[in-house]
Amino acid sequence: MNNIKISARQFAIFVILFSIGSTILYISSSMSQELRQDAWIGAAIGTGLSLLLMLLYIAIGRIFPNMTLVKMNEKVFGKWIGKLVSLSFIFFSFSTAALLLSDVGNFLAIQMMPETPSEVTQILFACIVIMGIRLGLETLARSAEILFSCFIVLFIIFVVSLFPHVELKNIQPIFESGIKPLVRSSLLFMSFFSLPLVVVLMIFPASVNQPKNAEKKLFIGVLIGGTCLTILIVLTIMVLGPDLSAAQMYPSYSLARKIEVGGFLQRVEAIMAAMWFITLYFKFVLYFYAAVIGLAQTLSLNDYLPLTLPLGMILVLLSFMINPNVAFESAYDKEVWIVYALSYGLVLPFLLLTGQILRKIIQGNKNQ
Amino acid sequence: MLGVVGVLVVAIIILVKEIPYLKKKKLKREGWAFSILLLFAVGLGIAQSLHLNIPNPLNGLTFIFKPLSKILNEWLK
Repeated sequence: MNNIKISARQFAIFVILFSIGSTILYISSSMSQELRQDAWIGAAIGTGLSLLLMLLYIAIGRIFPNMTLVKMNEKVFGKWIGKLVSLSFIFFSFSTAALLLSDVGNFLAIQMMPETPSEVTQILFACIVIMGIRLGLETLARSAEILFSCFIVLFIIFVVSLFPHVELKNIQPIFESGIKPLVRSSLLFMSFFSLPLVVVLMIFPASVNQPKNAEKKLFIGVLIGGTCLTILIVLTIMVLGPDLSAAQMYPSYSLARKIEVGGFLQRVEAIMAAMWFITLYFKFVLYFYAAVIGLAQTLSLNDYLPLTLPLGMILVLLSFMINPNVAFESAYDKEVWIVYALSYGLVLPFLLLTGQILRKIIQGNKNQ
Repeated sequence: MLGVVGVLVVAIIILVKEIPYLKKKKLKREGWAFSILLLFAVGLGIAQSLHLNIPNPLNGLTFIFKPLSKILNEWLK
């Protein structure tokens, strides 16, 4: 099952697309709710801290070469506790995938196609994701390479064409907020941006061709993703102003509405939305991939293909009920998600690392 | 009622698609996992289309993580 290998370059593209993911849609809103015009500083600090977090992931990748997160769990915590931890991790990525799917449905129903039931878009989106999973990681990686260039071109057009609307006075005064709000909002930023990258540990040491090169690429990927998001936040605040960007649900969509070149090129937000579909797709695919592969390995199955269709069906059904309304989701994001993401993105890798080091020390003492 | 029929039709399509593959490769454990998951999916789908009251798993998460998040928020206030 694990004969599929992707190259370090493809891995970097996965990291970039995954970390930008759905974050690009609403991050400016939740960050400027916390920090107002200083939101971009929180994002920059968050990116820096994310690079430190990547050091932890790289250390884990070095200690357990050729292992996925599920196998690491079983090695460190023993067979049964390891399996339980793995199952809870699978639930983490599965429920987040379902929430992401309902986000896709909500976004389309609210902003673009209000008369189409969101269930239809959710089912269609889930179908292409299941198709991608069934075709395998290599196919996904190649399509990521193609679509990534699309994404970058759209992003550059997006940023450049908004330049005329920039007003510098919107981000002044700088550094008005205190230390604690800054820490809090950079944690918030990380919980959307880099802590979910723990699912990449299902791919990273095990299915990447050149592990040494991939370590470097993990850094570069996080750096590029963080820079893109920070640019986006600065731009949103400079164009819309802190109040308006905090009040919007999808500020980058209203930003795209502002694009106007020479009085004839306007209302291009639907084209810009392609950018979000690309990143959302890969975020969703990686979450679902982690859940499927994780479940197959926890149950020690040799073939994950038969699991994809039933799991996909459960995912779609779960996404219908998991998110009853927008208020529920924003409360969940504020009250639960940060701690939930911290416990899997930071605490679990940290436990794995210390557990393995303790194990080595105890074994070393026995041998003496 | 239409929802129940829809769920069953999807389940039958999945069965028709996967059973030959499972048989051809003689995957026994995979077959078990596949049928249990599919059974769960059909049960969930029928319960949803009959508008039964299904607990939202995120409420459970809220119950577990809300105290921790309160501590974190107090500390960072």
